[in-house]
Amino acid sequence: MAEFAFEPEPAGVALAPGETAREVAGKNPWLLAGRRLARNRVALAALALFLAIVVVSFGAPIWANHIAHVDPFSSNVNGTTVVDGKKVEVIQQGGGALGIGENPIGPTWQKNYLLGADSQGRDVFARVLYGGRASLLIGVGSALISCIVALLLGLVAGFFRGPVDVFISRVMDLVWAFPIFLLAISLATVLLTAPDGLQWGPVRVDPASLWIPTFIIALVYVPYVYRPVRGQVLSVREKEYVEAAIAQGASTWRLIFVEILPNVITTIVVMLPLMIATTILTESALSFLSIGVQPPAASWGTIIEDGQGLLYTRPWVAIAPGIMIVLTVLSLNVLGDGVRDALDPRAKLRLKRAKVGK
Amino acid sequence: MAVFIVRRLFGLVLVLFAITVLTFLIFFATPGVDPTRALAGRNPTPETVAAVRHQFGLDRSKPAQYALMMKRLFISRDLVSYGNQALRVVPAIKKAAPVTFSLVIGAAIIWVVMSVVVGVLAVVLKGSIWDPVLMILALIGISMPVFWLGEVANLITQDRLHDTFLFSWVPPLGYTPLTENPWEWFKHMIIPWFTLSVLYIGFYARVLRASMLDVANEDFVRTARAKGLSERRVLLRHVLRTSMITFVSLFGLDFGVLVGGGALVTEVVFGLPGVGLLTFRSLQSLDLPVIMATVIYGAFFITIANAVVDILYARLDPRIRPA
Amino acid sequence: MKRSVILATVVAATGMFVAACGGSSKSTSSSGGGGTSASSTPGADTAAGAKGGTLTTLANAAPSGSPDPQVNYTLQEWQFLIITHDGLVGFKRTSGAEGATLVPDLATTLPTPTDNGRTYQFTLRPGIKFSNGKVVTGQDVKATFERLFKIGDSPNAGTWYNAIEGGDACVKTPKTCDLSKGIVVNGDQITFHLSKGDPEFLQQLALPFAFILPADTPAKHVDIPPPGTGPYKWSEYKPTSAMSVVRNPFFKEWSKDAQPAGLPDVIEQKFGLSVQAEVTQVENGQADWISNTDTIPADRLPELSRKYSKQLHVNPLLNTEYMALNTNVPPFDNEKARQAVNFATDRSAIVKIYGGPQLATPACQVLPPNLPGYQAYCPYTANPGSGKWTAPDMAKAQQLVTESGTAGMRVKVNSDTTDVHKAVGEYFVGLLNKLGYKATPQFLSNDIQYAYIQNSKNKVQFAYSSWFADYPAPSDFLQVLLGCGSIHKNSNSSPNIAQFCNKDIQANMDKAGATASEDVNTANTMWAQADKDIADQAPWVAMFNPKQLNFVSSRVKGFQFSPQWYLLLAQVSVK
Repeated sequence: MAEFAFEPEPAGVALAPGETAREVAGKNPWLLAGRRLARNRVALAALALFLAIVVVSFGAPIWANHIAHVDPFSSNVNGTTVVDGKKVEVIQQGGGALGIGENPIGPTWQKNYLLGADSQGRDVFARVLYGGRASLLIGVGSALISCIVALLLGLVAGFFRGPVDVFISRVMDLVWAFPIFLLAISLATVLLTAPDGLQWGPVRVDPASLWIPTFIIALVYVPYVYRPVRGQVLSVREKEYVEAAIAQGASTWRLIFVEILPNVITTIVVMLPLMIATTILTESALSFLSIGVQPPAASWGTIIEDGQGLLYTRPWVAIAPGIMIVLTVLSLNVLGDGVRDALDPRAKLRLKRAKVGK
Repeated sequence: MAVFIVRRLFGLVLVLFAITVLTFLIFFATPGVDPTRALAGRNPTPETVAAVRHQFGLDRSKPAQYALMMKRLFISRDLVSYGNQALRVVPAIKKAAPVTFSLVIGAAIIWVVMSVVVGVLAVVLKGSIWDPVLMILALIGISMPVFWLGEVANLITQDRLHDTFLFSWVPPLGYTPLTENPWEWFKHMIIPWFTLSVLYIGFYARVLRASMLDVANEDFVRTARAKGLSERRVLLRHVLRTSMITFVSLFGLDFGVLVGGGALVTEVVFGLPGVGLLTFRSLQSLDLPVIMATVIYGAFFITIANAVVDILYARLDPRIRPA
Repeated sequence: MKRSVILATVVAATGMFVAACGGSSKSTSSSGGGGTSASSTPGADTAAGAKGGTLTTLANAAPSGSPDPQVNYTLQEWQFLIITHDGLVGFKRTSGAEGATLVPDLATTLPTPTDNGRTYQFTLRPGIKFSNGKVVTGQDVKATFERLFKIGDSPNAGTWYNAIEGGDACVKTPKTCDLSKGIVVNGDQITFHLSKGDPEFLQQLALPFAFILPADTPAKHVDIPPPGTGPYKWSEYKPTSAMSVVRNPFFKEWSKDAQPAGLPDVIEQKFGLSVQAEVTQVENGQADWISNTDTIPADRLPELSRKYSKQLHVNPLLNTEYMALNTNVPPFDNEKARQAVNFATDRSAIVKIYGGPQLATPACQVLPPNLPGYQAYCPYTANPGSGKWTAPDMAKAQQLVTESGTAGMRVKVNSDTTDVHKAVGEYFVGLLNKLGYKATPQFLSNDIQYAYIQNSKNKVQFAYSSWFADYPAPSDFLQVLLGCGSIHKNSNSSPNIAQFCNKDIQANMDKAGATASEDVNTANTMWAQADKDIADQAPWVAMFNPKQLNFVSSRVKGFQFSPQWYLLLAQVSVK
């Protein structure tokens, strides 16, 4: 997705609809933002939806173990289950004159196999819940890492400018143009084929670890967050009070963390929900292509891929995780809008182009 | 300006070089990717293995292999795939590129038109229920994974409703070149076009709307209103045109990415033999020559698009300060 | 042959769509058995059909490797090569067990070897022409075999054809290969002198590597197969679009058994469609057949079974799918552990993963049914004795694990990422964990998996693999996959993945091989014994023997399935 940057005015100037100047005067800008957000019912609803999805996903073990009594990860090809009091095979012989093929059962709309089984006889609904855990962990994790790294790089590049800026920005260009899929496939293969697993000091990296897609996705989006952050740092740096502080001999770190950072943080905070939405979508694409989350772990993307082979006969396997993704990403997008409106109701949309190397 | 262009071009070459070297290194750091694994057949003698390695230049040093590959790719253009020795890489890309162009250009036309319509409508209808409704629809569009939407589209058009008048015209997944049969080409492309554009309609409608609202408060617009111009005239001639600057810049970047193979999942889901699909297959089969070619192709378009947009934007938007 | 090696790129390319379609092109599913498909009775469809028309076949991708007939190791291309070229001998072009027998082709008779199996005398048929009009001579034959070595990377030059005198020297210095001692040409008499007897030499002559090419064919890879003597000649070979063959105007049928005249005028294979699209095209009559490299998606099977059952054919294959157990690395260096896994494996579940009992039968041994030397044997079932697998025996398995003392060890279950194989791998991860091991999956891309599991330095413990017969001989399975000579340490090419080497069994296998040239029946009994002994030692978990499902369009008549070449393309009619 293309990039854009928000350039909020320094907090304390703008007024949301229905606010008076007196109300906002002198108030802590974050408190103000919180209050505005609290008044935005649509955003609150979105937040509630997101939290509900999180709770339900992390409650997957409760569903699987105590309610439905299924094991969503073990191969269960010859398993049976009870539907409407009758014992049925989870994967049933195909029909037709030749009796070829095997079909998993479809949705039972009961506690066990609510949405039916996949081609290995596993409970789809339970897997979708567990998949949510993986997708959310990776999505939030990679967005956070991305934002933090981009923040640091943007601060450094924007503040010091000159050759430092050029170098970092060119590296970011390179990362942005680099094929993520190659990196993902290569890394997955390296990890899988290292005969004794991969060890980096005390850290043992398991190929099924969720950290791997997390880091890959985080890496890919650093340039995306970096650009607006850098632009913001550059514009704040040129403000008079910063120039004055430099003239007065203020220390570099104090400048960065006290004067510039607070203004840049708003950019990050606004971008965070949107980044989570983006990373969740990216993870699902990678997992769909089998180069994201690896078995035995499952994510929404891997389940959609499982469902591809059953698309015409058991479409729920592919549809259900997709619906979850849509709801999650939608709620994050709406929330993101609300956060942006709360931080600055008149936030302007501008395209910040990083002009490097001039 | 000329200096700037030259500098960017130089930067482009540098980026491409760096990417190819990185690709090369990553590839050879991956175990088991030696092409002799597939070509040497079963139970080959050591002599056979050596012969294959020599043929592919694998018995030379890494820098020499890199140079050899680059030469075969750019100069003699006879670079051969690791997977099928009759497959020349450059012609394969040439054959795949029009498919990607068809997909991306068609989708782009649809999304530009639709997003302008939706964005303008949302602005015009601001204050009524339609504004938030349109924006929610746009948000839903952005929130759907493209490949999932494609799968659902396939489910409906190829199977569930395929026998109805609605979708019986939909051909099986695949591609027919425009030059061969324009009507077939169109029928193959229409569903992928719409699937790919849903995501971008949502995004660009929002961008345009925000941009227009932003501009609507600018001084020069207020001046135009004060002069007594009709609201519609103000909207279309002043606001929209200025807003398009942002729109066009963003569009350039996205278009560059897509043409460079970013529509990979769409091509996979719809069975379109474009560059994205070629990229993915070559990655899966660890076919370095094809990987290298597709990586260069993609990086080229992305970087060129970046540079073009930069230049355009600097010239067009006086408000943007040079960063 | 290891089809997955041959189809490496093809399968990977198909990977996505196959993943979409729930199958793997490696273990091509086929339908057979039942008697419900029209062509299960040999001869039923052999009434001469009408000539003419174009037979349109589909494949997701072109055959991998080089198009050169002396290098290409894919059945996909072989099915075309057998109708464009001929060898001195060939497999009979018919369905059923007859299709595994040899008949003379360019030679007038099948020679009996003399001089302890070292000399084969052929008489070349007169007047046979290549598609460029030139008459085939003994010099062409000699040049063909020299070229096998000269091009440098023919897979079996150094393993099969080096038996020809002078062959070993040719392997060392290919460019100057001279087989004058090994192939003596005297007018139409061609005499092969071998440095050692090889009872399978004739079968090796019947494979495309040894199909006769014009003597002036250059000694480097060709982009399209050179002129041949078959009823068709190559007209197009473009890996990104299609390959096709058209009638050879110089062909006159000389032996219906070896090389019958073809019925369609043109046979083509188009590449690039997804398997889903291919199925739809055949349903609509826009294409006639889907190549066996593409597996029909599992979720289309019910629809096909319901609406197009007459166009589906299920045929048995000479193929075994198995999990190799590394006998040199713990825990499976322990025989009891290996047997335990064999007892615990629920082969009916694996058959289900593959597509059900109509498409696969459980197996406990190396040799597949219908191969000479096969005698049904299954010790790893509840109530053994009948030779058939019925049910797993978990209790026995648990007991053996305890006795072996290997419980708790880490095991990596290796497979590739195609749907069926991944599912089988996941099944075994669960099973091994149930038996008390600590099992984790290791699923590699199809392209690298086969080479990876062969290389001993990767210390693969438990890996999925499969094997298709190059030609119907027990040695093609037992010696190649479980013979001491097939272990090459630290090499990507070491087909004895289990690294199994038992001196006594090896001696028996060698004896069986030597006996084969004199007394085939005794030899087959010896091979059957070796098969049993090996099964007892359990270097494998043999899982199932798949059948092949072929889907043809409604206009295709005369479907014949040869056990060697599968669908005989030139013998169907489309008019």
